[in-house]
Amino acid sequence: MALIALILLPAIGGLVAFFIAGRGERERWVTIATFALMLVLLAAIVAGADDGRWYAKVSYPWVPSFGISLDFAMDGLSAALIAIAAGLGIISVMASWSEIRTQSGLFHASLCWTVAATIGVFLSFDLLIFAFFWEAMLVPAFTLIAVWGHGDREGAALKFLIFNAVAGFGLLAASFALASMADHMTFNAFELAEMKLSTSVQVWMLLGFSLAFLVKLSVPPFHAWLPEAHTLAPTAGSILLAGVLLKTGAYGLFRFAPMLFPQGLEAVAPYGIALGAAGALYGGFVACGQNDAKRLVAYTSIAHMSIVLMGISAGVQYALAGAAVEMIAHSFSASALFLLIGALYERTHTRDLRQLGGLQQLAPRFAAAFALFCSALLALPGTANFVGEALIVVGIFQVNWVFALLALSTLVVSVIYATRLLKGLVFGVPRTNAPLADLNWREYWPVLVMSLATLIIGLYPQGLLALLEPAIKAALVLPRP
Amino acid sequence: MTAAQFVALLPLIVLAIAAVAAMMLVPLARLEAAQAAAGVGLLAALALVLLRVGAPAAPLGALFTDDGMARFGIAYACLSSLGALVFLRTGVPAKEAPSLLVLVALGAATLAGAGHAATLFLGIEIVSLSLIALFAFRLSRQGLEAAYKFLVMSGLASSALLLGIALIYAETGALDFVGWTGHGALAAFGTALLLAGLAFKFSLAPFHMWTPDAFEASPASAAALAGVVSKAAVAIVILRLFLTAHLPEPVWSSGLAALGAASVLVGNLLALRQPQLPRMLGYSTIAHSGYIALILASGAPRAGEAVLFYLGIYAPAMLGALCVSAALGRAPTLPDLHGLIRRRPLEAIALSLSLLSLAGLPAAGGFIAKLYLLRVLVDGGLWTLLAIVVAGSSLGFYYYARFFTAPFFGQSSPEAEPLPRLDQGLLAVCVVLIVLFGVAPAVLIDVVRATLAP
Repeated sequence: MALIALILLPAIGGLVAFFIAGRGERERWVTIATFALMLVLLAAIVAGADDGRWYAKVSYPWVPSFGISLDFAMDGLSAALIAIAAGLGIISVMASWSEIRTQSGLFHASLCWTVAATIGVFLSFDLLIFAFFWEAMLVPAFTLIAVWGHGDREGAALKFLIFNAVAGFGLLAASFALASMADHMTFNAFELAEMKLSTSVQVWMLLGFSLAFLVKLSVPPFHAWLPEAHTLAPTAGSILLAGVLLKTGAYGLFRFAPMLFPQGLEAVAPYGIALGAAGALYGGFVACGQNDAKRLVAYTSIAHMSIVLMGISAGVQYALAGAAVEMIAHSFSASALFLLIGALYERTHTRDLRQLGGLQQLAPRFAAAFALFCSALLALPGTANFVGEALIVVGIFQVNWVFALLALSTLVVSVIYATRLLKGLVFGVPRTNAPLADLNWREYWPVLVMSLATLIIGLYPQGLLALLEPAIKAALVLPRP
Repeated sequence: MTAAQFVALLPLIVLAIAAVAAMMLVPLARLEAAQAAAGVGLLAALALVLLRVGAPAAPLGALFTDDGMARFGIAYACLSSLGALVFLRTGVPAKEAPSLLVLVALGAATLAGAGHAATLFLGIEIVSLSLIALFAFRLSRQGLEAAYKFLVMSGLASSALLLGIALIYAETGALDFVGWTGHGALAAFGTALLLAGLAFKFSLAPFHMWTPDAFEASPASAAALAGVVSKAAVAIVILRLFLTAHLPEPVWSSGLAALGAASVLVGNLLALRQPQLPRMLGYSTIAHSGYIALILASGAPRAGEAVLFYLGIYAPAMLGALCVSAALGRAPTLPDLHGLIRRRPLEAIALSLSLLSLAGLPAAGGFIAKLYLLRVLVDGGLWTLLAIVVAGSSLGFYYYARFFTAPFFGQSSPEAEPLPRLDQGLLAVCVVLIVLFGVAPAVLIDVVRATLAP
């Protein structure tokens, strides 16, 4: 029941925010309270859990005649991602405090509903319920981009919606095909995982699922929607897109590919690693050439998610652990950078690296925050991203050293774009004499929290790894050292 | 006639009386009176059907079938006609309109129980003739054009239908659906003609040409009658033919599949750049007819369930969208929708949710309908049709998305007068149904299953 409450809470919170919006900031506080309550509830579930992999597991019939039931379960990976979703929800509200001044009720409702749907994704183990939430998250996220975005927001939002909704058909068709092979009507992933399917069937099903996951993960060549959606979305939208929505793709791949199609995954693993390596290099190189800071960060997301794909495809313990950590680390680094760039844009009305610079003289807190998260972007030791990427590279070395060298070379590219971003924003002389207000408290605290999280995971990853351990073990399909 | 037979036919009798009563009130009273008479008649017929849910089928002979599906069809026709009646006044100030509306419902109710060629033809003609008059009600150039188009094509379709029936009769010697078990060339040709005639009413491409014009130029409630009431009735006829008749298989199923696939592509493609809400909805109904035809073409054991479920999901979405369209004046375009959320929040929400449902996105009911459609196609292994459906709905995301966010853009234009209470109530009901079917589809699925249970 608690798991369902975890989904219903933001869904209802969104409705409340929608209807009480008006004068004052009521809807903002309601949204923050909703997410805070979710965090409390999550903590309560985790604290009250028994030993074993699952903190909680429930099943209710939804459409019995169709074989659909509400199968929810939460392990460490889900819990970590839900905590991030709720936390980034609060941060999004704070980050958009002054940016969003029109139709604030709908905005906060969309925020809540996006988070509610992603939490549904992180909890569902019935494939159709998973697909339900998978597609349900598109609509409020679409609204966030289309209504409050910049520039050609409608085009960007449409691209986002169409790419992801079309890819969703792959997931749906594969789910139906999988269920039609079962001996009784069910979409329960645990039951479907017990089926013994031939490798070729598994590969086809996996391709269907992967279509949805890779588009959401935005691994090239499925990435075309991402740069514009990220760049043109309002700050809160970018934070949620990078911090939460991309993670649903990584999560789906991490959770369901090894669980449902172990042999299929093994068969296509080399292609997965190659695709990831190509994507990481492509994303990295394109990021190096960007002048728009937000667009640059958007392309780094492509690179990092491609690295996650490499880790999941490699399928050995180190690589999987690295992929899981990288998912979480990237949530902090990318979201923080989007927040900072959004805050900077509000002040300077430009994101062009050629027109910015000298932040360290004008606004030292801004500069320090940028410095930290640019370091995270290039996976400097001490940041959470280092842990993730190092583990992935080590894991890939166990599989194939050629791929490992490719993975290492992507890290070199990341140094180029991260230092370019840092240099363009923080160093040099200020281009204008206009004073620049430093971070205010609504920007300072979120950044501080995300910095601490990045550093803590970077310096003491054991805690997070212990939390993720069961999920990593479950995803471990290849009997290799 | 026994009492049981009389009771079984009572809904049709009540509808006929209501149509006559509404007509007789025309010279005597104001529009509201005719409307009230129509409403009372529809409600009474609805109540009579609902009271008989679960009752054993009355033996009505070959002409009319009294089974779950017929009752579902009559109830559906009454409910959606009631919906159309609510926003009739905004589009048609003519006093004759309510009577014609009830006649459409009567025709649809006849079709719902039609198990015989004579009833089928009768039902189709009652619906068509009433619709022609309703389409022309604005007496504008476009309205007349739409009505004229419909008249000519309807005549053609009726002839095709009649000739088809005649050919099938020539081979099988039967006029009731159960007796249609032909395999020869005559029956095959007859089936093709029959399908063409039905496809016209069902606005399947390439017999769809009248639909967008009718949606654009005629009052929104006439569009609702054509797009929801009569369409569902024809769908039920096709479903009944699918379940009871044994028409030459390759013609029947591949014909339906071809018509369905063509409609999915044509409807979605032509809707793509359509800036006008009602016209877009017109193309959208063509696409949705295509989806339903594909379900029937699959021949899957779940096809019946899937079709009725689809119809149940489709009605509140289409009625909601058309009601909003009627409230915004003639043929509202995209810019007319801007700022609607400030001006008229209920309408904005109802429109967005309706379009969300038609697009097949969760948490609207349309998503579950899409699941049904995909499931039927995957179960049947019809990968080509699946690809066409995926392509069609992908296009659909584009044009629905343009419309469902439009109400949230831009500034509010001048104050609008509030919508009448009844319209507000209708929109609220549509919103509730769309969300309910999306979140708890088991409600509707149970109804549909009970309907189809022998």
